[in-house]
Amino acid sequence: MSDNDRSIKSKEASERDVTSESGEMVGYRQQPGKLPFSKPGSGGRNRFSKPTDYSRIPESQGGSLKQPWGPHRHDDLVSGQVIGKPTSLVDSNWKVTGQAKYGDDIRLQGEVIGRILRSPHHYARVLSIDISKALELPGVLGVATGEDAPGKFGVLPVTKDEHAMAVEKVRHVGDLVACVAAIDEPTAREACRLIEVEYEVLDSIHDIKQGLEDSENPIHDRGKYHIGDSNVQKRVFQQFGNISDMKDSSLASHESNWTFTGVNHGFTEPHAVVAHWDPSGRLTLYTPQQVPHYLHRALADVLDIPMHQINVYRTFVGGGFGGKSDPFPHEMCAAILARKTGRPVRINFDREEVFWVNRGRHPSKISMSLHADSEGRLCGIETDALIDGGAFASFGHVTTYYNGVLHTAPYEIGAFHYTGARVWTNKPASGAMRGHGAVNSRCAVETGIDDLAEQLGVDPIDFRLANLLPPHSATITGFRVTSIGMRECLERVKEESGWDEKFRKMPLGKGIGIGCGFFISGSGLPIHWDPNKFPHATVHLKIDMDGGVTVHTGAADIGQGSDTVVAQSVAEVLGLPLDMIRVRSKESDTSPVDLGSYSSRVTFMNANAAISAAMEIRNELLEATSEITGSKIEGLVIGDRRIFDKRDPAVGVSYLEALHKAQEDKGALVSSGSYRTPPMGRAHKGAAAGLAPAYSFSAYVAEVDVDVETGQTKVTKVWAAHDCGKALNPLAVEGQIIGSCHMGLGQVLSEEMKYGRTGHLLNPDLLDYKIPTVHEMPDVTPIIVESNDPEGPFGAKEAGEGPLLPILPAVVNAVYDAIGVRVSELPITPDRLYKAIERRCKSEGIGEPSDMAPPRLEFTSLQETLQRRSIDHSKRDKERRLTDSPSPYHNGALFGLDPEIPGDEQDSRWAAVVIPPDGYLEDPGLAGSAWKHTERRYRGDVE
Amino acid sequence: MVQYSLPLVPGPDKVRWNASVNGVNVDFFIDSNAILLDVLRDQSGSLGTKRGCDMGTCGCCSVMINGTPKLSCLVLAQEVRDCEITTVEGLSSGHHLHPIQQTFADCGGSQCGFCTPGFLVVSAALLEKNPSPSEAEIKTAIEGNLCRCTGYQQIVESISKASEILVSGRRVGNSTSSKSDPHPGFSGSE
Repeated sequence: MSDNDRSIKSKEASERDVTSESGEMVGYRQQPGKLPFSKPGSGGRNRFSKPTDYSRIPESQGGSLKQPWGPHRHDDLVSGQVIGKPTSLVDSNWKVTGQAKYGDDIRLQGEVIGRILRSPHHYARVLSIDISKALELPGVLGVATGEDAPGKFGVLPVTKDEHAMAVEKVRHVGDLVACVAAIDEPTAREACRLIEVEYEVLDSIHDIKQGLEDSENPIHDRGKYHIGDSNVQKRVFQQFGNISDMKDSSLASHESNWTFTGVNHGFTEPHAVVAHWDPSGRLTLYTPQQVPHYLHRALADVLDIPMHQINVYRTFVGGGFGGKSDPFPHEMCAAILARKTGRPVRINFDREEVFWVNRGRHPSKISMSLHADSEGRLCGIETDALIDGGAFASFGHVTTYYNGVLHTAPYEIGAFHYTGARVWTNKPASGAMRGHGAVNSRCAVETGIDDLAEQLGVDPIDFRLANLLPPHSATITGFRVTSIGMRECLERVKEESGWDEKFRKMPLGKGIGIGCGFFISGSGLPIHWDPNKFPHATVHLKIDMDGGVTVHTGAADIGQGSDTVVAQSVAEVLGLPLDMIRVRSKESDTSPVDLGSYSSRVTFMNANAAISAAMEIRNELLEATSEITGSKIEGLVIGDRRIFDKRDPAVGVSYLEALHKAQEDKGALVSSGSYRTPPMGRAHKGAAAGLAPAYSFSAYVAEVDVDVETGQTKVTKVWAAHDCGKALNPLAVEGQIIGSCHMGLGQVLSEEMKYGRTGHLLNPDLLDYKIPTVHEMPDVTPIIVESNDPEGPFGAKEAGEGPLLPILPAVVNAVYDAIGVRVSELPITPDRLYKAIERRCKSEGIGEPSDMAPPRLEFTSLQETLQRRSIDHSKRDKERRLTDSPSPYHNGALFGLDPEIPGDEQDSRWAAVVIPPDGYLEDPGLAGSAWKHTERRYRGDVE
Repeated sequence: MVQYSLPLVPGPDKVRWNASVNGVNVDFFIDSNAILLDVLRDQSGSLGTKRGCDMGTCGCCSVMINGTPKLSCLVLAQEVRDCEITTVEGLSSGHHLHPIQQTFADCGGSQCGFCTPGFLVVSAALLEKNPSPSEAEIKTAIEGNLCRCTGYQQIVESISKASEILVSGRRVGNSTSSKSDPHPGFSGSE
């Protein structure tokens, strides 16, 4: 090639590379031939892939991505590849072709079918089990009963109260009694029929209030936390600030007594499990699990083998929502049967069994009192939550706390008083479900605030805006709030919904309502170990000569896209397209421990771990590049499959060149990154419940049509703003927001687990358990608010559970706006709402429901005060979020305390009280009455 | 779970069964009372057809029978002898996805993916009959399918996007074609 040719070629190349279609400078200059490291094959016209997209590079790095919340610690890792781009899930092609293997799709050679014999009684002592007839049936390979695995387990180490199968007692209809392995399902069913069980039926408890009383036969005999002879599993008392002082100074008060029925996750995939002991004597358990690691521990306990002998293989999960986040007895059964029979055992559930396993949202009775003073401040929240845990503890310990502590934000409050109790009853166990513990009480709080605003004569959105905590503050219970995009959420939904033209202005039957939410982004404490010892999440990377990156993580992708997020994080840091990343997250044998998909922790913790692992590799690549080009490491940046000099972008190498240089002496590059939560929170009992490294916020406006003649409610439109910090994958975030609306709408309008008079579950199927179909879904406008969390990966927080909370109160408030009736029982079925309409007509002497007047609101002078305060606070918040190290701000400043010092250190009345003070029991709340029992450390039968 | 105290009924007869599953003629001996879903999953190996409820409430097991979507958990296998059965595995042609599969992946129509095969089959059947359905028609077509993750909005969007692709006559790319080059320019692929 002559020099002339070269210069023409180089001119062509440089023109193409430096100009975009619009003619603007977007890329970097290429000067082939000039660079000493150029070698055959590395040059050419298209050598540098695509130019960096500067609209994705943050302002702080010289790009044009606006950062209204200031720079972030991960800004320099942004290569403009995939973060913030709507991205389809990395495993979506497996799903859409039917190739994804869920629990029941694992078929192993020689497998046999397992079937579980379940209790027909609510509560009974198992006197004897005769399995001889079942064993004689041809085709039956093994039968197991509780004797085969007497060990207890449970997801929380403090409340291990489950057995693989009944030992001594069965505690609800559907409780496991025995299990059978047979060559096919009909044989297994018949064998179950042939097992003879002798029961002594005991008096069962179904009413939640009955659980508070002493009982002759408490459902569980347990030492450490046994509370009297009652069925109280956990009780919580928390008091911050002086509630009676605040009550006295209040101008408006709201009181309501809510009844929430239980709801089920309703995931489409019924539980299924396959257990296989391989020839080397190791167990592989294939199961759709959200918490493979906790299952791993429980299996080791129950089977009495070391953990390293078990490989937990998480299959594709057909929906979790918290319903697959416990180690389950049927998983133990499969392992036990496989051990007995020497064959792989598959157990798959029918839909009815899914309802017997349950772990859905707790049926609860919540009393809520809210107080507001003459300045429109939220001066007191009193909550009493009695929750029905069903037969087992599950996550109940945590749920009992969450019902209270998760409504201490986003508002600044003058006093907070919470009593909560969880009781055991003879129903399928309640557990964790999307929005764990926060959904019901949040509904009560937000509808209460609507009522307070009404009494004060102010707009409920303005009331909220004037009472928000600022960024980098602490709540009354000591939670550390870092980023908070609540204000933006409220402002956006207000604007987009046309709130001012609609609120309290629409005709009878049409209404609009607001609701807000606040949720943890990852639980601050792991369930099983000291957080100072082990990290919460670990990610391993391996890159070999092919250049593809293998990511090993234990995070359970349950359809929310955690594999995608971890792949995106790695791809972004290394400047690679997503198809070069492969995520291996299924097997505990190859994946580092991750706690699992619960408490909305995966994106926050796992992506942080992935980033730190990728940073290690990135540094090695930068070093290698520096060695080749002679540029300084600090001056190098990563673009699309290319590492180049920031000042002279023509100087650089391709990703593979750098990689091969880095591999010269050691072969494959490997790295490990991990994440642990920072130390935070206060020291009082229960202070750790609800602690999280970040919190998400959301505000929804819902519009409803209510038919006053029939009580039928139709939600027509939802504006849903959620602060997820930074949408790493906006497509997935929008999917989570709309999906949350769907699930929340189910709970508020149609879903309930109905128990009959004898305590029997009446609707354990998807025909009678009414999940909204496409026709019930309103048009949802998802609005993503990005508050750029300082500790989140690229600024991200959770988006999986928080978005569910506001939809319930938004609909309830909209129903009030439409017909002037406040409901206090969910779901708002037509019969319930019509009764409420009738009550209103009767009490107000209205003949026909269509003659009811819709509520109207005249603003008082307070409205202006609040608006002014809201503007002041808006400025304050903006300053605080842009300051590098803002001064401390503790809840209570709005009430005259020094914001820099925690309230309890300034005034003893703000101190945390976690044991009921003298005299409290004279007039306790419903859940509060659990404190009338004396706690007994040991009952004699335990230790 | 109530334990029914019925005696074990005599086992079913084995009968011969022919059908075309995804274009392949199959010939099995099946139980005379076998449900189509079981035959598809356990004998014909079409594990993409999902079992969600066994009683026709969730739509996960939808398959096309002679072009019409049916719930395979409510169909006796013997009823569809000699019929053409299409499951989710039969939608794509080789490594070219059906447009509806591509848009479900691209538009967030599939999250956990368990209901996806049912939705795909139902919407592919709709698009075959009506290549450019209105939103109301789409909603009517999928009303029998439950999805717990997406809230349906992105599913409806996926179906209308797929209809655009179908109408334009474009074909979805081959998933086996060369992916990103770690050393751009080296192999000349980009």
